[in-house]
Amino acid sequence: MNIEIKELVFAYPNGVLALEGVTVGIPTGSLVAIVGQNGAGKTTLVKHLNGLLRPTSGLVQIGDWDTRQRSVAELANRIGFIFQNPDDQLFCRTVKEEVQFGPRSLGFENDRIETLVEAALELTELHEKASQNPYDLSPAWRKMVALASILAMDTPIVVMDEPTTGQDAVSIERISRIVQSLHGSGKTVIAITHDIDFCAENFERMIVMRQGMVVLDGPIQEVVAEREMLASTYVEQPQITRLAKRLGFSTIVYKPDDFIRVLHDS
Amino acid sequence: MPDRLSFFIPRESRVHSLNPLTKLALAFSLIILAFFGPGLFLPVALYFFVLVPLSLLGKVGKEFLQTSFRLLLPLFAFLFVMQSLFYPGGETVIFSFWIFSATSEGVVFAFRTATRILVMVSSFLLLLLTTHPSTLMNDLSRRGVPASLSYIITSTLQIIPQMQARAVTIQDAQRSRGLDTGGNLINRIRSLLPLVGPLVFSSLVDVEERAIAIEARAFTLPVKKTSLIDIPDSRGEAVLRWVMAALSLMTIGYRIWLSLN
Amino acid sequence: MALIELKNLTYHYPLTNSPALQDLDLEVQEGEFLAIVGANGAGKSTLCYTISGFIPHFFKGELAGSVSVAGIDPTKAGLGEFVQKVGLVFQNPFNQISGSKFTVYEEIAFGLENLGIDPAEMRERVDEIIRLTRIEDLKDRSPYALSGGQQQRVALASILVMRPQILVLDEPTSQLDPIGSQEVFQVIKDMALQGMTIIMAEHKVEWVAEFADRILALSAGQAIKLGTPREVLGSPELPEHGIGISRYTQVARKALQAGLWPEKRSMPVTLDECVQGFQEIIA
Ligand SMILES: Nc1ncnc2c1ncn2[C@@H]1O[C@H](COP(=O)(O)OP(=O)(O)OP(=O)(O)O)[C@@H](O)[C@H]1O
Ligand SMILES: Nc1ncnc2c1ncn2[C@@H]1O[C@H](COP(=O)(O)OP(=O)(O)OP(=O)(O)O)[C@@H](O)[C@H]1O
Ligand SMILES: [Mg+2]
Ligand SMILES: [Mg+2]
Repeated sequence: MNIEIKELVFAYPNGVLALEGVTVGIPTGSLVAIVGQNGAGKTTLVKHLNGLLRPTSGLVQIGDWDTRQRSVAELANRIGFIFQNPDDQLFCRTVKEEVQFGPRSLGFENDRIETLVEAALELTELHEKASQNPYDLSPAWRKMVALASILAMDTPIVVMDEPTTGQDAVSIERISRIVQSLHGSGKTVIAITHDIDFCAENFERMIVMRQGMVVLDGPIQEVVAEREMLASTYVEQPQITRLAKRLGFSTIVYKPDDFIRVLHDS
Repeated sequence: MPDRLSFFIPRESRVHSLNPLTKLALAFSLIILAFFGPGLFLPVALYFFVLVPLSLLGKVGKEFLQTSFRLLLPLFAFLFVMQSLFYPGGETVIFSFWIFSATSEGVVFAFRTATRILVMVSSFLLLLLTTHPSTLMNDLSRRGVPASLSYIITSTLQIIPQMQARAVTIQDAQRSRGLDTGGNLINRIRSLLPLVGPLVFSSLVDVEERAIAIEARAFTLPVKKTSLIDIPDSRGEAVLRWVMAALSLMTIGYRIWLSLN
Repeated sequence: MALIELKNLTYHYPLTNSPALQDLDLEVQEGEFLAIVGANGAGKSTLCYTISGFIPHFFKGELAGSVSVAGIDPTKAGLGEFVQKVGLVFQNPFNQISGSKFTVYEEIAFGLENLGIDPAEMRERVDEIIRLTRIEDLKDRSPYALSGGQQQRVALASILVMRPQILVLDEPTSQLDPIGSQEVFQVIKDMALQGMTIIMAEHKVEWVAEFADRILALSAGQAIKLGTPREVLGSPELPEHGIGISRYTQVARKALQAGLWPEKRSMPVTLDECVQGFQEIIA
């Protein structure tokens, strides 16, 4: 399921021009991270994918669907969207109901719902919290519930807005595993993140935004090399890349293992 | 989240620049007059000769009329049908069909109730459209009203737009997970059901979260608050407030005197 | 006497059996910058609430041991006394808006109105904070019509502007862009240098290592380490407690196993330390 965004412009009702002509294509099975400074328009951009926002001008296509002609509910068959703020996403009384809500509204068969819900709870390690009220969980776990509720919808495209905020090392590990397993099953994964190390270690392509525009777009190893461009949108290079640069490495590295390899060879 | 969590429309006008307490006093005295004053047509007169002109003077005429009609028309229709047909003790039949008959006592009662509600709702509406909620809050606490009480007053006045904002957020979340909320009327009404529970629950959560947020900003600290926005007041307005208070008292006195006789 | 003193502190949330904080001892001096690290659920927020008086005033539950913050005992004094001296920036940036203000500027001034600050001084202080947190271009916007990171900046500014003697920050940079987080650390460090006492819960160990004076590592409500960044973040037990370490420490550990890290050097926690170690190896 390819995504095509062409010349997308969006202004909020209060007049803020949040997107000033964004053109991006994301083919099926991509593993893409979107980074950029606060207020760059990342959230605004992905809210166009599931129709929560409609283009002021320009075009957004999900597969053969033009989002202007589809309802949000219809688009939910193709796009699962994890909100930046879990409080805006969760509304059920128990974790289990929350995870069931998506596949139920999409009209899946009972057996399939059962299987999907189980799998989602398993991946997010929420089993023992299944009967708790999401509001009683800590913010980090609420985000995990939000994630599970989208996984259970089994959409070909999964969009995550800041999945790692407030998560500890163990949970970030878990999120990495989820991202890899989605990727392994051929789905498109798009994540917005400020955690550039997480991004470098788990994604293949990086889109960098600044003030409503895309300023860089390419494979991770190329994008992380652009120190100045990244800095102009308040993003830093990954820690490993900075370290390698200080040590005068001639190749760009951004993963600990690659660093050790290059160090060993030199 | 929509960025308007209140009815207030920031504009420059003579009504906007009145002291908030004056507007509050005006709202209360109009309501007292409408409910306890003499004459069947007093509330209508208050609406057309006081409230509507004031809303025009306050440059919020369009919003005022729009909102008051939208809120009240369904209510009035309901009131008239119910009361004119079922008013107990109605004798003077105006017309009748099948087993129903409309009585003039019922019509009068419906008219009286409807116009009173009209004055009550639109007095508050005028206050809300032209008054920054925090100016009202600051002014009240500046005059020695306890912070928590003035907070309750202003947050009650904001409750409708806040619930609306919350409802939009929840529906966005539900639609994003495939709940069909659009289409024909039946579908729309059906999609309201899953909204009610979360709306009530999250409004309660909101109240608690807001309480802790303002606590952290020293809201209940027992010192005299100051205000960033200059709150206007004048001797003239103070006199006006006393006049309105006196008028209200007289109206209530008149009503008590009537009931004693 | 230290500005903050916790002795043998144990706290249970209402209706819970296991303590959220257990046998905690802590002293913090005036002007110190103390960071709290720990896995999810370790008790970081709970400790923040305790130091700022929200425990036991807002969250009831059962508090044992003794707490003294700027000479105030929370079990005797009211929340009002705390709020004047201790500012708390909550973990969730999305629900710290007062709800009665129309612009970011008014929102930030709200705390000063409540403190009874004179309007002229109020404007001066709000202008200064807006500049420090880089939200000048948002000042006339509605506090609701903002991006996640912008809301977090407003939440931070709203407390900073009140100039508390002790500033408690619960993951204040979770939604911020990378260089923005670094700037916030710098701003807070500067305030500590001017005498403000800082307590900050944070997952971003890379910056904690650069800026904090001391670090407290919590696990399941208990203090497992307290000391300088190097003592705490370099310690080999951290990962067992689910606490993250920076890529610098990670890579040095891997290098040590591969015989590529100078043996007598301790584990690096900052970029500089890491660079020095590897330079020795390369040389
Ligand atoms: N509901 C809204 N109404 C009006 N303007 C908005 C609204 N939400 C966001 N904006 C503005 O639109 C611009 C883009 O915001 P967006 O939320 O897309 O940023 P972002 O890149 O996701 O930032 P962050 O990293 O802080 O989450 C910002 O200037 C923001 O202030
Ligand atoms: N209001 C509450 N009622 C009952 N238990 C609570 C409450 N808040 C937190 N807890 C429990 O207390 C413990 C410590 O929680 P706390 O929120 O302090 O952790 P934290 O270190 O801040 O975690 P995080 O990184 O997720 O923010 C956890 O076991 C948590 O479940
Ligand atoms: Mg965002
Ligand atoms: Mg916490």
